[in-house]
Order: sequence, then structure tokens, then C-alpha cells
Amino acid sequence: MLTTGIEILLWVAVFKGAKSATIAGFSEANYLSYALWSAFFARIATSWMYEFKMVEEVSSGSINSIIVRPMSFYEYYLSQLMGYKVVTTFISLIIPIAAVFIFDLPTDLSRLPLATLLCFYYLFLVHTISFIISTMAFHFTKISSLTVAKNLFMWILMGELFPLDLLPEPYKTWVISLPFASGTFTPVAYITGRIGLQTVIEGFMSVTIGLVVLNLIGAYLWRRGLNTYVGTGA
Amino acid sequence: MIKTLKKYFLLYLAMFKASFIADLEYRANFFSRILTDVFWYIAQIITFEVLYQHTEKIGDWNVKEMRVFLGLLFVIDAFYMIIIHENLENITEKVRKGDLDLLLAKPVNSQFMLTLQKANTAIFGNLLLGSSWLIYSLMGLEGFNYARLLWLIILFPCSLIVIYSMRFMFSASAVIFTRSENLQFLWWQVYRLGMRPDSMYTPYVKYVLLTLIPVGVIVSIPARALLNPPNLTYLLWPLILVPLLLYGTHRFWNFALKFYSSASS
Repeated sequence: MLTTGIEILLWVAVFKGAKSATIAGFSEANYLSYALWSAFFARIATSWMYEFKMVEEVSSGSINSIIVRPMSFYEYYLSQLMGYKVVTTFISLIIPIAAVFIFDLPTDLSRLPLATLLCFYYLFLVHTISFIISTMAFHFTKISSLTVAKNLFMWILMGELFPLDLLPEPYKTWVISLPFASGTFTPVAYITGRIGLQTVIEGFMSVTIGLVVLNLIGAYLWRRGLNTYVGTGA
Repeated sequence: MIKTLKKYFLLYLAMFKASFIADLEYRANFFSRILTDVFWYIAQIITFEVLYQHTEKIGDWNVKEMRVFLGLLFVIDAFYMIIIHENLENITEKVRKGDLDLLLAKPVNSQFMLTLQKANTAIFGNLLLGSSWLIYSLMGLEGFNYARLLWLIILFPCSLIVIYSMRFMFSASAVIFTRSENLQFLWWQVYRLGMRPDSMYTPYVKYVLLTLIPVGVIVSIPARALLNPPNLTYLLWPLILVPLLLYGTHRFWNFALKFYSSASS
């Protein structure tokens, strides 16, 4: 809530300085709604805890107990991540929905299911990246800051900081075409009326391409890592 | 007194050297730490550069002045990360694992050890980058009076002590509650309030951020010292605040230790 509050104060200050009723065609209320929902979606679309756990499992050697299970390391943590995100999303959804009604913020709630679905689809990509990062732990002893660096990189490209359509061309087109926009910008812009269904469909396609490419890389790195791995934690 | 100060200074030098050697051991982590902060700098810069494409001023400042604010934020944050951050970040862990016992048993001040035992030397690269951005942004200001930089000799240490004191209170609460991860998360949210110029906030919020929760003092006051005509009441406030905060941390630490029941015993 504090994070959202800070962002809202920033947008209020921006509009005061702009001395204009709209920025890039959208009102102050629209930006406040964006700030509210982007904080919510960005929390869903980020995986800190499970990535740290995955890295820890590999580097500490406790991965041995997972390798022997009838479920892959990837699937084991994917099920945990998704379970956690589904529960927390439905509980925390109450806050932005209540804020929308209390402050009368422009939001098309009928678009919320599709926006949430895209964000959850994007989570598969997030998990695949976490999987790739965890394979690095086969080769390096301490890589926790790689997780932080990666999450910051994705944070910039997701659109939590500001609506990505405020970027000048051609950066705007490039960044929105990347799958990372599907984590925050595309779902939030869709429910706040900045974009239409076409961009959401493009988001699904972009994430699908990202999933195929990154899963291939992940599978290769996993096999390579396992070949060099010795079960130190056994 | 001088003998004691010398002892603590030499001790800090020894710990700093040991930290540097330890940091070099994990080279991948060393470089990715630098990369991490580069992304953080980029995020801050891009945010404001994009916003200024659509507005002339945010709070009291235009884009050139905001660049100076960000430069100061990067430099102050880098010093904090080098000297203090990692130590306070690990207090919860030390309390849970009983490592605090080892520090309490040493013949030196436990608050000193807890605060300065480990330096994060990987951040020196970030300090260089942050300083470069600050110099670049100052060069972009027309008619900037470089004599104003002298204010930073006083205000930089004050900013560091303010961050330290506030962070220390949050971290030391781990001794009382044993698990205080949520409080540590809350600290980051509070710190974020100080990462934006104070003029952006409403007068009431601004007052709170300069006095009761003084994160507004960390970057906004040094930035004002460089960018605005000197206002002595405003500029000297950190000098009053710092001794109060330092005394507060000392008292709070002693109070927190009364709740410590030694995890390893």
C-alpha cells in the first residue's frame, strides 16, 4: 500500500507540474488507476522467494531429494509457485477492487479475468527464467545477486515504474513487443483502457515465443549442470 | 579517548581488508552486484527522464535539477551499501542462528561490530558510476556555484547517519521479535519515500518525512543545498537530528538486548 501511495503521490506531482488535464491522452485518474493496478500485478509477476529457494537447493546440494522424486525440479517448484500466487492473488485482489470503488478510479473490471490470465501465463516465463538462473548454481558458488539483477532488469521492462506507452518511439514499440510487458503493462493498460484486445493477444503470443526459447535454453543448461554436479549435500 | 578511537579505527581497517578478500572470492557475485545497481540506476533515471518528457517540473525541480537529485541519491546509497547495508541486513539471521552471542562476547562495542563488521567492497564500482552521474548532472546546470559542494562535507555524513539510524532501529527489532522479515520489508518502503524529492509531497507528509520519519533528510536536504539558495534553518536541521538519532540507536540497542535470550545456548 505504501508503494502504491508513493507512486500515486508522484503522479499527482507530475500532473501539477504538467499544468495539463491529460498526459498522452489520459487523465490523472487514469494514471492513479494505473499506479494502483501496476503495484498489484507486479507483485504477482515477480518471483523472489521461490527463485532463492531453487538456487539454494542447487548450491547446497539438497536438490538430491528432489531429483529422486517422480516430478522434475522444474515442475516441483512451478506447482509451489503457482499455488502460492493463486492464493495470494485472490486474497490481495480485494484491496485494488475496494480502492477502485472508493476513489472512483477508471477500471473496466470485466477485463480483469483476461488480464489476470495473461499475468499468470507470464508467470510460467518468470519461472522458466528462475529455473535458468538456478542452473547457474551448478557452476558458481554464490549467485544471489544475479536474481536481484535479473528482477531489476525485468522490473524496468514490465511497466510498473510508468506506463510503457509513455516511452518515445521506437523504444515504445520495442519494449511493448517484449514478453516482459505482459507481466504488468499489458494487463494493467488493458483494464484501465489504454490498450485493446489486440495488444493482449500479442502479449500471449510474445510470452509463448519466450517460453519456447527459454525452455530450450533451460533444458540444455539443466542437462549440462547435472553432468557437472556432484551431490555434496547427500 | 584517542587511544580507543585509534583501536576502533584499526579494527575497522582490518575488517574492511578481510571483507575485500572475501568479496573477491565470489567473483561472479562481485560483478553481478555491480550489474544489479546499474539496473537500479537505469530504472530511476529512465523513470524521471520519461516523466519529464510530459511535464516541466516535478515538485520544485526541472529535469536538470532532478538529475542532480538522482546523482546524490546514487552516491549516498552507494556509501550506505558499502559501509553498512550488509551488516544490518544480516542481523535477523545472526539473532536466529545465535551468531550474535559471538559479537556480544567480544571486548568491543557490540553495536560497532554489528554495524561495521562487513564492508561490501563490490559496491565501489557503483560508487564510481554514481559519482560520474552526479558530476555529469552538475555540469549540466547553468551557472552552478561549485562552492556549494562544500555543504556536502557536512551533509553527506549526516545523510549516512540518518539512514543508518533508521535502518538500525528496524533491524535491531529482530532481537526483540526474533523474526522480523516483514519489518525489514517495511524499511525498504519507508526508504523509498526518501528516494523522491520532498517537494513532491504535501506539506504535512513533507513535515513528517523531515522530522518524525526523517528519510526526507537523506537526499532532499543535500540536493537543496546544491540547487536552491541556502536556507540555514533547513540546512542545519540534520546537525541537530544526527546526535539525537545516534543517541536513540544506542538506547534502543541496549533496550533490545534485554529481550535477547541467546539462540545458541
